Amino acid sequence: MKKVIIAVLLCLMILPLTFAGGTKEKSESPLDYKLPEGTKAAGTVTFWNAMSGSRAKVVEALVEGFNKSHPDITVEALYTGSYGETVTKGLAAVKAGNPPVLLQSYEVGTQSMRDSGAIIPVKNLNNGEINFDEVVGPIKDYYSYDGEMYSMPFNSSTAMLYYNKDLFKKAGLDPDSPPTTFEEVYEYGKIITEKGLAKGGISFGWPSWIFEQMHAYHNQYYANNENGRDGRADEVFINKDFGVRVLTEWQKWAKDGVLEYGGRTYKANDPFLAGQFAMLVQSTSSLAGIIKKADFNVGTAYLPRISDIGEKGNSVIGGASIWLMAGHSDEVNAAAWEFMKYLFEVDNAIMWHKKTGYFPVNNKAYSQLKKEGWFEKEPRFATAFDQILSGKTGHAASGVLLGNFVQIRDIVGVAIEDVVVNMKDPQKALDKAKKECDQVLEDYLMTVE
Amino acid sequence: MQVKLKSQKWLPYVLLSPSIIIITIFFIYPSLQSLYYSFFRVNMTGTRKIFVGLTNFTRLLKSSDYLNSLLLSLFFSFSVVFIGLLISIYIARIANRRYKGFNVYRIFLIWPYALSPAITGMIWALMFNPAIGVVTNILNFIGINFEYISNGIHAMIFIIVAAIWKMMGYNIIFTLAALQGVPSEIIEAATIDGAKKGQIFWKVMFPVISPTIFFLFIMNTLYAFFQQFGLLHVITEGGPGRSTDLLVYKLYRDGFIAMDTGGASAQSIILLLFVSVIMTIQFKITQKSVFYGA
Repeated sequence: MKKVIIAVLLCLMILPLTFAGGTKEKSESPLDYKLPEGTKAAGTVTFWNAMSGSRAKVVEALVEGFNKSHPDITVEALYTGSYGETVTKGLAAVKAGNPPVLLQSYEVGTQSMRDSGAIIPVKNLNNGEINFDEVVGPIKDYYSYDGEMYSMPFNSSTAMLYYNKDLFKKAGLDPDSPPTTFEEVYEYGKIITEKGLAKGGISFGWPSWIFEQMHAYHNQYYANNENGRDGRADEVFINKDFGVRVLTEWQKWAKDGVLEYGGRTYKANDPFLAGQFAMLVQSTSSLAGIIKKADFNVGTAYLPRISDIGEKGNSVIGGASIWLMAGHSDEVNAAAWEFMKYLFEVDNAIMWHKKTGYFPVNNKAYSQLKKEGWFEKEPRFATAFDQILSGKTGHAASGVLLGNFVQIRDIVGVAIEDVVVNMKDPQKALDKAKKECDQVLEDYLMTVE
Repeated sequence: MQVKLKSQKWLPYVLLSPSIIIITIFFIYPSLQSLYYSFFRVNMTGTRKIFVGLTNFTRLLKSSDYLNSLLLSLFFSFSVVFIGLLISIYIARIANRRYKGFNVYRIFLIWPYALSPAITGMIWALMFNPAIGVVTNILNFIGINFEYISNGIHAMIFIIVAAIWKMMGYNIIFTLAALQGVPSEIIEAATIDGAKKGQIFWKVMFPVISPTIFFLFIMNTLYAFFQQFGLLHVITEGGPGRSTDLLVYKLYRDGFIAMDTGGASAQSIILLLFVSVIMTIQFKITQKSVFYGA
């Protein structure tokens, strides 16, 4: 009996092996797929996304509007958890042979999605209906690969500085001149904490992302091969002088009580709203929410710079884009393309921006907003826009593309926590993190091709 | 009056088959698959597999992060099991008197166990929220600055306390049931012989309830090792740094966020071996000291 069981179990074990052999080679890469011209757009388009809370309602409204105006197409938007979970679920569905039609992936998933072999580039769908040059410059730069668009930018954001004007006033600082440099952040933070007005001066959301932002913002490469845009990157540059400098500054702030570490995602928003610190570096996508919830005057400003580093870059685009997954009929692909075009339309892009704080990804929407005086009425919505539009272009400034970026961001996140919480030496922490990151990249490249 | 069945041989197998089938599908088959994957490096969509031999294992054993997770897990489990059991036994002893409304009281005791780990996490995270948490404010008032988001040691204490609290009702109920099953004659006999309260408990009652305590010991160890994902995911996400990065959470991060199927499979195999060893040792040690029935 025992032998029989063991034999059966061994057979079960070999099962996945045989399947693996069968599915490995696909004759046609979805990267070469072309949407036949004149295909009728019809069918059901599943759209897996990570938009929760008030954002989910806006997505719902957009989908509803689309379904009404397109009777042959049904878009089904489904909330599938956080960004990370959404990508994971989408790829698991690919493995199981039943992928969604559209999948929202955050910016760090860009390289991995492109290499996954499971996506159809949006450039292949475009028969001239959309001029991708109309996509706002830095956003286009971020999502282009070899000058071509692979996914449809949807919710784009960047990081900026939020500050509590009331606390500034109480501290005797000018509420209309926020800090522009690291030195001023430190100085102002010190004044505020020393006067006992708040527990700390500043905090960050997504610290690892802010660290990436700092690199691009000072025009420093984060990884080799021109930030992975001139061939896949296999080495990160996080432990160079610049990275060490940034973390050394942050550590100084933390030691002197100016930096109040606030966790990895949006956790720092609540204590900022409760007045526990006066400044917050956070994604622009929090803007609408913060303004709504704050019982003080919220100011917004450009990211602070390190004043003695002369090089100027740009802040990096965050947020997410929409990918078309391979494995569906031409009709459904065409329907998905209809939906992406719909989201890109001026009115919809404007609506999306006003309700969430994300950038309108369409240049025309931007000029429309300008024309109707939206930015004069709501200058805080203009801050981040002015910031990215005033920045430089180029590979160092437009942000890094990395394979398995998710893991790399996590590794760097730990290094930052080790430095600003556990007070470890910045150089050592970054050296260790760099080694781990390079290993991740090596493993990634090994399975890619 | 025994009913005789002619072909009894197959009957036990038939009766066992549902559980065997379920265990095979949901436990043995996935475990074997993990074992299989632990020798490969797999890409995200699972379309490419590269055989890497034992690399996944050697890398883990060399990794300081993994060692850190292992030590943290041991410390965490040890604290949760021992402190948790001691407190539970103490409370069960107090509760082991006849009160009015005893049954209602007992239901209250088991309540926390009915919560899912994620809900437990939410409740505790809210109570200790740095900005609006009730407990944080009380602690601040008496001069304790408790910050589980920015202090690794606080974070560890926090999840230990929350994990103990969650399992406590379960422990108390079992201990209480066992205590009530202790025959009153032997306690009376001990009292007549002049034993003190503490002596009565440790020398007379404890040996009688030791099978239950041993059972709880096993359940708590398994709980502390395997069932902390929800709690960690909601409260600390393994941070700050790697200060609450227990083995199960590292496994989740590597397997489902970083999508390193091979490495995560290797971790799960090691975790399985590890717990098997702990269990074997526990059984061996306690065989001698656990008293099964008089």
